[in-house]
Amino acid sequence: MPAEVKQEQSPSNATSLAMMQEPQEVVEETVTIEEDPGTPTSHVSVVTSDDGTTRRTETKVTKMVKTVTTRTVRQVPLGPDGLPLPEGSSPLGSYTDSIDRRYVKNGGGGGERYMTPQASSTLTRGYNNSSYNASYNSEQPSYGGEPPDAQYGRHYGLHDGYGDVTDNYGSLSRGVNFRPPRYPYMPNSYRPENSYTLPIRKDDYGHVAQPQVPMGGSTAELNRSQPERFQAEPYGLEDDRRSLGGEEEEPYELEPDYSTAGRRTLPGTARGRTHREPLRDGPRVRGYPEEAVVVEGELMDERHPYLHGMYSAPLAQPERGSMASLDRMAGRRSPSVDSMRKDPRWRDPDLPEVIAMLGHPIDPVKSNAAAYLQHLCYENDKIKKDVRQLKGIPVLVALLDHPKSEVHRKACGALRNISYGKDHDNKVAIKNCDGIPALVRLLRKTNDMEVRELITGTLWNLSSYEPLKMVIINHGLQTMTNEVIIPHSGWEHEPNEDSKPRDAEWTTVFKNTSGCLRNVSSDGAEARRRLRECEGLVDALLHALQSAVGKKDMDNKSVENCVCIMRNLSYHVHKEVPGAERFLDPSAPQAPGSTAMQRKKKDDAGCFGGKKAKGRKSGDGDKSYDTLDLPKRTEPSKGFELLYQPEVVRLYLSLLTESQNYNTLEAAAGALQNLSAGQWTWSNYIRATVRKEKGLPILVELLRSDSDKVVRAVAIALRNLSIDRRNKDLIGSYAMRDLVSNLPSGQQRPAKNLEEDTVVAILNTIHEIVTDSSENARSLIQAQAVEKLVAINRTSQSSRETKAASHVLQTVWGYKDLRNALTKDGWNKSHFQPTVAATPKSAKNGKPGYDDTTLPLMEKNQDGYTTIDHREKECKYKAVDPEDPTEHEPLKNDTNRKHYIRGNRPAISLVDACDVKPQPVDSWV
Amino acid sequence: MSFIPGQPVTAVVQRVEIQKLCQGDHLILGFSIGGGMDQDPVQNPYSEDKTDKGIYVTRVTPKGPAEKAGLMMGDKIMQVNGWDMTMVTHDQARKRLTKKKEDVVRLLVTRKSLEEAVKHSMCGYPKQ
Repeated sequence: MPAEVKQEQSPSNATSLAMMQEPQEVVEETVTIEEDPGTPTSHVSVVTSDDGTTRRTETKVTKMVKTVTTRTVRQVPLGPDGLPLPEGSSPLGSYTDSIDRRYVKNGGGGGERYMTPQASSTLTRGYNNSSYNASYNSEQPSYGGEPPDAQYGRHYGLHDGYGDVTDNYGSLSRGVNFRPPRYPYMPNSYRPENSYTLPIRKDDYGHVAQPQVPMGGSTAELNRSQPERFQAEPYGLEDDRRSLGGEEEEPYELEPDYSTAGRRTLPGTARGRTHREPLRDGPRVRGYPEEAVVVEGELMDERHPYLHGMYSAPLAQPERGSMASLDRMAGRRSPSVDSMRKDPRWRDPDLPEVIAMLGHPIDPVKSNAAAYLQHLCYENDKIKKDVRQLKGIPVLVALLDHPKSEVHRKACGALRNISYGKDHDNKVAIKNCDGIPALVRLLRKTNDMEVRELITGTLWNLSSYEPLKMVIINHGLQTMTNEVIIPHSGWEHEPNEDSKPRDAEWTTVFKNTSGCLRNVSSDGAEARRRLRECEGLVDALLHALQSAVGKKDMDNKSVENCVCIMRNLSYHVHKEVPGAERFLDPSAPQAPGSTAMQRKKKDDAGCFGGKKAKGRKSGDGDKSYDTLDLPKRTEPSKGFELLYQPEVVRLYLSLLTESQNYNTLEAAAGALQNLSAGQWTWSNYIRATVRKEKGLPILVELLRSDSDKVVRAVAIALRNLSIDRRNKDLIGSYAMRDLVSNLPSGQQRPAKNLEEDTVVAILNTIHEIVTDSSENARSLIQAQAVEKLVAINRTSQSSRETKAASHVLQTVWGYKDLRNALTKDGWNKSHFQPTVAATPKSAKNGKPGYDDTTLPLMEKNQDGYTTIDHREKECKYKAVDPEDPTEHEPLKNDTNRKHYIRGNRPAISLVDACDVKPQPVDSWV
Repeated sequence: MSFIPGQPVTAVVQRVEIQKLCQGDHLILGFSIGGGMDQDPVQNPYSEDKTDKGIYVTRVTPKGPAEKAGLMMGDKIMQVNGWDMTMVTHDQARKRLTKKKEDVVRLLVTRKSLEEAVKHSMCGYPKQ
């Protein structure tokens, strides 16, 4: 191995930078590309020094690297798939390469504009160049190098641009509406700065406002009409800022306010206050780099002070004379923004200030403050708490209704980060100021995909807190279904007969929304009822899953979420759907309408005697034995009926066959488990359909899965399926070995090392299979299970395992015709009795009654076991949106899921909820 | 290799070029990966920093292509063919490594021993 060791600065960032730059460059280009043939006069072309290029590149690199850090995340996942990086193997190569390209493209544009002032190096140059803009625009294509100073100007521009905002902020009381004919009056010494600031805005504004018009043309026009402002034009750095920050819209949208804001400051000063000017400018440039930083995603530098609690930094700018400002201007030539930023005279706004800025009359200030808050809150619970305590959350929520997309977008981004985490108080705070309806309102209103992602991400976060689930259902269920689930699932209410069905799109919005619904679907019977009855929801989810199966794209998170919702909605269908009593199994001895509870009690009475129950059950089985007629429907079923139609069996089996995602597998098996539980007509159909669709081998195969929870769900599903007599015979013949091989041999666990709950589930399934079937008991003995069962019975540390094994052993010993064979193998009655130790163990357990999960299924509960997915997922993620410079929370499994124990749920659902830790995934490549 | 989010990362990296091996219909690299943004970083036994959600090499097949190329268990994969691997989900990393049409993957990996070696030998190296 050529241990070519090199030191790289942020290699990952570098590459991702390379990738990221692509889209942004495009953006840049569209803006700067204006080659208006009509405006070719240019002094600008003058400057193309190679030397300049090199230098700039260098400094730029540092800068870029920092810039990228936060953005990396969003771009990488989205990275254009086929985009071959030049010299793909060498990240460094690609890195520089991309930078170069970037220079040529955006940098070129920015530098160029900028270059002009540099090149002229006289203040009056701008004046002379009457067609200034136009010329520089036309210049661009041929622009190869930048003047050495370009970068400084660029950085400067960066701050300067922001400075405007700060300025407003700093001078809240200053005439907001002030109109700025100040240029002509500007003192010469001051001019460069002023000119720098203003023109940019104008420039950008021009672009935005008239995107179709070649920029050179439009600005030129502008210039002609307002010649006095002209001088400002050279400062083209706004572009740069954008290129660095990836901010596309912001400057534009804000433009109108922005530009006035920018000018506002100066007018008063223009004449009499020259010496004070610098002061105001000071904060403008310096006080706000914060914001600039945010936009560039470079914030980390600034963040640390925060982290260290420097909330109350002294106000930034002590009075300074014009000299100071001159100094500063000189300082602007310093090689990097960094050095400027380290200037002790600057400071970050403290948190109360940022929150105050949210209420600032100027929209850009609001949105920037929100964006900064989002950044600050990223993975910082302390700041989130502080924001809450400083009453920032209601302000952010109020901004959701702001008409400007930039403002509500940033507010939403901040809320998303705030809503993430273990601190439920933040979630409650959002709910308490009616944040949930506000989010839903915005979801209805906006078409901006990014905003929708943010909204649904926030809702997903909120949905992980139990008390908020019903609130989300009440306010948002139908809207999320109509706005996201149905359109993205591809399902159509009235399918057009000509067009073929649309496929689902696995968008982030869909993923977030389905995650949110997945969480709320575990909130008990009422939540399930609401979701089942939500118009179009079940239809759309099924369509999405079918489309996933069709496309063989079944491993993603959206599919997982959909299957989990389906599984939860399938829980207790036989009890909860309207009209369920009509379908109660007529062969069941109870009169329709008698509750499961009554049946359960009755059977409990005969718990270990069990003979009469057995007789009945086998009778049932024989009756439905392959003579099952699926009901003919006159009209296609829809809505919640789809949940338990036999057609879904094929869907779940396809998922079980194809998916590699353990959660999806578990949920699909869980759905079959839920559907095959219970005594009603539909569960009879489901059990038979699984067999007819050749689902049993698929399930048995999954008993070998590496995932504990998959094995568990499959084992319980098999148990419910074996209520069907024919299934019981088949499972007994073909699944026994796999079931037994999952059992531990006493203390010594097999390689899989399954959890106690899984072992208990398997033992209970075995018990169910051998009950009423001496054939199956024989298979069990042949599978060498007795040794393992006896070992568990005697030595297991788990009282539940011991008890479950003991039940099986007793049942087996109950078959007198098998005893002969057993004694031949050296077993005797004592092996099949409950161990002495077992009884005290279970007594010690403190449960006077029966431990639900260890009791044999039929005796305990006629309904069989059903499960519901209780896992809470929160959605957090890194930025995915190219425009958003701030950080988002990363996507990760939430290991702190909450499990709520409810009396009305069968114990098995608790068992299911017990797997707290997702197993680390490990993939061979 | 701990880092602060948002800060530039400095890492000593090694290039590892692995020629995929044809095994049946599949091209294999002969190692397994763990970690990713969607995984629980605490369960990663190889990371020093337990918040690191990077992609790590968890197993290497003896005499497999990866082992021959010098990949070691516990290596953190920084890049695959120039693509960043420090901020990707597990599945994204897997897909990036198993592109059917690529029969060579070039990795940048970092490991503790590398960093230490460099620290000793390159004292004067300018640190950025």
